[in-house]
Amino acid sequence: MSWVLHRLDDRLIHGQVLVAWGQRLSPQRIVIVDDAVAASEWERQLYQDSAPGIEVRVLSVAEAAGAYAAEAAAPGTAFLLLRDLPTALRLVEAGAEIAAFNVGGLHHAPGKDKVAEYVYLDDADRAAARALHARHIGLDVQDVPASRAVPLASIEPLA
Amino acid sequence: MSAGTQGPAGGAPDTSTVPALLVMHADLAEALLHAAAAVYGPIEGIEVLSNSGLSREALEARIAEQVTHWRHGGLVLTDFWGGSCHTCGLKATRGRGEILLLTGVNLPVLLDYLHNRDRFTASELAERLQTKGRESIRAQRCSES
Repeated sequence: MSWVLHRLDDRLIHGQVLVAWGQRLSPQRIVIVDDAVAASEWERQLYQDSAPGIEVRVLSVAEAAGAYAAEAAAPGTAFLLLRDLPTALRLVEAGAEIAAFNVGGLHHAPGKDKVAEYVYLDDADRAAARALHARHIGLDVQDVPASRAVPLASIEPLA
Repeated sequence: MSAGTQGPAGGAPDTSTVPALLVMHADLAEALLHAAAAVYGPIEGIEVLSNSGLSREALEARIAEQVTHWRHGGLVLTDFWGGSCHTCGLKATRGRGEILLLTGVNLPVLLDYLHNRDRFTASELAERLQTKGRESIRAQRCSES
């Protein structure tokens, strides 16, 4: 199993991912699953240049659903990055067998309210979280490895 | 500082001054500017921005808002390569003329910027600061007497 981190973070590749999680888990590959980034050659290049020494792949949800199992069986270590809960649900519904997500930074935006220091949710996020929870997929809130992981279900009703 | 003889311009900024925006994690940009002022004196014409609590879209919007009045380019000074300050800076300034980003900005770099922001174009200054930043990090063993 190459996957060592499945992370929901609206910043995708950034400091916490590269420095905190990266130093702890030493990913050889980072796979960003994001339709908008995948559709922009310039943004794909931006992320590919942002992580020196790490192979960065950018896939649409549809592409990732097909590539997930192959990556899991590949040698080495890999991170999966998605920007939000609805994207996570789409990927799972498309066939990716993921046991749990690390809920990193889901920052404030209009219409979202605070659940934790760095986690803000709106109705679509909550619906996706409930659907993932119903599938027994873990959702643990944790920004960096040195922080304690807190089950989202313990701070937000998901049942 | 090799260019330390150039003092602050004083008064209204010269139109040829290369503007700068510090975008860094947590309180680093503000603290760095505060430290630079302790060495340089009162500082005008630099904006600071923290990424704390901001989504990628929000940080990009804040950066774009800060640089929108830069008519002749400028510098976005950030802390480290690959961080959100860096990548959001790249996206927010794309297609806005001669705006350059620097990563790894430290106190020597900021001081050199302050002493030379009226003497170079944005591109020339970015090149100079890149060299200054690299030269500023040196390891030295303390000799025992």
